[in-house]
Amino acid sequence: MHERPSDREIAGPAEQPRKRDRRRWLLAAIPILLVVDAVAFALVPPFPPGQPGAACQFPVCFINGNFEFPAPATVIGQAPEPGQILSFVPGISSTILTMWIVGGALLIAAFLLGRLRKPVPGRIQNFSEWAYESIRNFGLSIGGPEAAPYIPIFASFFLLILFSNWSGLVPPIGKVEFLRAPTSDVNITIGLALTSFVIFEFEGFRKLGVRGYLGKFFPFYEFRNGLGAGLIAMFVGLIELMLEFVKPVTLSMRLFGNIYAGEVAIGVITSLTIVLVPVALLLLEGMLNLIQAVIFSVLSLVFILSAIESHHQEEGHIAQDAMSVAEGHASPSPAH
Amino acid sequence: MEHIGAGLAAIGVIGPGIGIGILGGLAAGAIGRNPDAGSQIRGLAIILAGFAEGLGVLAIVVGLLTIFITGS
Repeated sequence: MHERPSDREIAGPAEQPRKRDRRRWLLAAIPILLVVDAVAFALVPPFPPGQPGAACQFPVCFINGNFEFPAPATVIGQAPEPGQILSFVPGISSTILTMWIVGGALLIAAFLLGRLRKPVPGRIQNFSEWAYESIRNFGLSIGGPEAAPYIPIFASFFLLILFSNWSGLVPPIGKVEFLRAPTSDVNITIGLALTSFVIFEFEGFRKLGVRGYLGKFFPFYEFRNGLGAGLIAMFVGLIELMLEFVKPVTLSMRLFGNIYAGEVAIGVITSLTIVLVPVALLLLEGMLNLIQAVIFSVLSLVFILSAIESHHQEEGHIAQDAMSVAEGHASPSPAH
Repeated sequence: MEHIGAGLAAIGVIGPGIGIGILGGLAAGAIGRNPDAGSQIRGLAIILAGFAEGLGVLAIVVGLLTIFITGS
């Protein structure tokens, strides 16, 4: 009788070289980044803002040369006057330009991937299918099976914000005058948060109707159960209404603050210690940008799902329905 | 004066620091007690740390506002 091959022999040699390859990649990336830092410092030393080529002392002028202000530089059109909180001036800023580039690249990639589908997938198609399926499974694990119609929105927010964040770490973007990471600008993150706000409000109104949705914040029907219960319900409804408007504010500010502070930190650290420390900070910022993209899209999905859930689910009528079915008073009906 | 205000506003970042520290400690303890649930706890801890960091960022944004918004 032949000895049955053990599982280790079947699965064995194929796995290990791949893990060693990934670790070798990471270890090779660090010296490459060090060399790039040193070469960039030698070729393009920092200069005081606005005067390329002038001499610069360590450390104050270095920091000033690498510092990034919250307001983006304008590429086309007029610049807003400095020092105002709100101003409406027609012009295209560097962040909008970078956002068009990133968004255009994503759209072109998606279009090409959709066109070149083959029954036996090649490597790129395999990779993109794996990426979409893992995003979809992640969204479904967060929201449950009723999140399935909203997975495209979730994936769009995630991919756009992820590549916008990561584009700030690629060398020319952020240091060249006319390119800057889109999400490091308050205007763009407020725009993204307002888009998410409009989407979940609209979904709530569409699913529950105007009276049903507003009835979540102004529960007049609770007065049926007595005046005290009615007043408490109204109070809770008012707090929920205030929370509705706080949601886009926190979404935008969280994303803006993380990305902008990350860019400033990288700029200052690079100007103080030219090599070695910026590499660690760059990798850390890469991970943090990914987490912020995940958080923005997960929160949008959760807000959409909480906007479309009806009061029946909130008040536990599901349990009452289940009890009445178990006791034989009613026949089972699908959950609503 | 604005710079003093910005410095005071930046003290607010202590809050998320303490919060994330407590979260990390409890998550490590939970993984130690139940290693099989390790990946779930790790995922939850990373997401919650992101939320807490967002609040610290609000403090920094207030500081930035005082420096860069001049005038009335």
